Amino acid sequence: MSKKSRSKLWFLVHSWLALPIWFFVLIVCVTGTLAVVSQEIVWLANPDIRASKPSDDAEPLTYDQVIGAIKRAEPQVIVESLSRPDESHFALSANLSYPDGRSLEVYVNPYTGVIQGISPAFNFQAFTRALHGWWLVPFTNGYSWGWYLVSLLGLPLLASLVTGLVVYKRFWKGFFKPTLRFNHGARIFWGDFHRLSGIWSIWFIAVISITGTWFLIEATLSDNQITLSSEPIVPAIARDKVPMSATGVPAPMIPLDEAISIATQRIPGLEASFVSLPSNAYSHLRIGGRGWYPLMFQTAEINPYNGEIAVSHLLSDRSALEFVTESMRPLHTGDFGGLWIKLIWAFFGLVLSMMVLSGLLIWTKRTALATLNALKREAKASRQPAKTQVLQAETTEGNQ
Amino acid sequence: MNKAMTVQPPSPLRAFWLKWRFHINILLLLVPLGFMPKYFADAALFRGDSGLGEREVGEVQVGPWSLKLAELRNEPPRPDPAGPMKSFNAALCATCIDQVKATYLRIGKPRSLRAAGVIFFGTPYRMGAMLPIPERTPLDADVWITMEGWDGAIHQAYIPLSQASPATIDWLKKRGVKP
Repeated sequence: MSKKSRSKLWFLVHSWLALPIWFFVLIVCVTGTLAVVSQEIVWLANPDIRASKPSDDAEPLTYDQVIGAIKRAEPQVIVESLSRPDESHFALSANLSYPDGRSLEVYVNPYTGVIQGISPAFNFQAFTRALHGWWLVPFTNGYSWGWYLVSLLGLPLLASLVTGLVVYKRFWKGFFKPTLRFNHGARIFWGDFHRLSGIWSIWFIAVISITGTWFLIEATLSDNQITLSSEPIVPAIARDKVPMSATGVPAPMIPLDEAISIATQRIPGLEASFVSLPSNAYSHLRIGGRGWYPLMFQTAEINPYNGEIAVSHLLSDRSALEFVTESMRPLHTGDFGGLWIKLIWAFFGLVLSMMVLSGLLIWTKRTALATLNALKREAKASRQPAKTQVLQAETTEGNQ
Repeated sequence: MNKAMTVQPPSPLRAFWLKWRFHINILLLLVPLGFMPKYFADAALFRGDSGLGEREVGEVQVGPWSLKLAELRNEPPRPDPAGPMKSFNAALCATCIDQVKATYLRIGKPRSLRAAGVIFFGTPYRMGAMLPIPERTPLDADVWITMEGWDGAIHQAYIPLSQASPATIDWLKKRGVKP
């Protein structure tokens, strides 16, 4: 095969990867971009989720103080879990169980313990994630087919990156000589745009496509009951370790702050950015947070009656493979280092969405041009009745 | 592509196909649109906005205590690597919240407290258990509820499976009861 026809072939492959499914890819990119900053969008829209400081020298409350404040405001509710978001401008998130049977996330001021608001029935964050992640297809038996549908896109995305770089000869020159021609018509502009944003997004497209493909692998493994996890299965607290109480009321548990300090003293480096309270008399208190490696969490399960650490799952317990596989999700979502990383992810998500659109525009404009040429030739051909082949001029890009 | 296309005017059908073939994928948007009502119904179900579960079984008296039982979903057991599972939700009576240490669910009468079945997780206002449906469950099986008090007291009660989950009975009938 000649060099020229090979590059034509690569070019055709590059165009065909996304073209027949461009709208699906576009919506997945746009919803993914929204999902990255969904928490921030809610922060802008809903004052309840903001952590406003009552005074400049206000100190954040401890978990026990927060629970105490919630109990004073709503004596009947049961706190199920608490979490401190990574960014200090967000209110604490608490899951509360109400006597009417509702189980709701509420936003609690970290300095005063005031319940600022109840999460609305429409959870924008969860909705954009569900739309992006599994196209809203419900999970009934293992992973939903929507999950497979979306995560399959990792493969054409990766192939688009590779073929794009093959087709775009000496693409590295584009870094030193950025070209974006505004005055040569839409076709030239979108072509320049597609190439320019493409080379600057190489790292991002690689990250998103590889992690996206991982989601496909993850679902396939899970649906075939294969696990790579070293996470221990936590047995219930032994019957004789749960105190009886002659009075017939629940046995006292140690204060949450005490449990946290016991655990963090025994396990250096363990942080408690979230706590789940025991979900029955025989289950543990679970605390967890990020360790030195910001992409993964460490957790410990604590006996709530005596403070004993039943099991812990630390960075040092993870296999090398787990460091790779567990990093995939945060790398995909960009939620591992605060607001700036999210904004960078959202920006490149937008660029990626624009690449789908510009790719489509290039195609349609080129096809329109080719059709126009074909019609001209057709007009000629009707004067000279010879069979002419037309519509071949679709791969000019590959020859540039 | 289309190298074989000649100047002969294409049929209207072919012209339509050529014009719209790359836009057919817009129809994929019908998938999330179609699942949206289900998505919001599920969100309301898990928040508890639409009650304890899709189908309320009713109040069951267990010794001095009682609980409200509901099927999380009004549907047959779901497949699971550990065998078919059926999810139930429950809420304890207001006066027994502080007295009850644990609540268990089992198909068939438990031989001892250690075999009382699956334990409920959650809060007394809303807790859930995944009940395994054994291979040889007869159509007239009973669902046994065991409640354990903080003082060590044990109380038990049962209701027919047909009352707890008609969908499971239908599923058993369809599957054929194994001897």
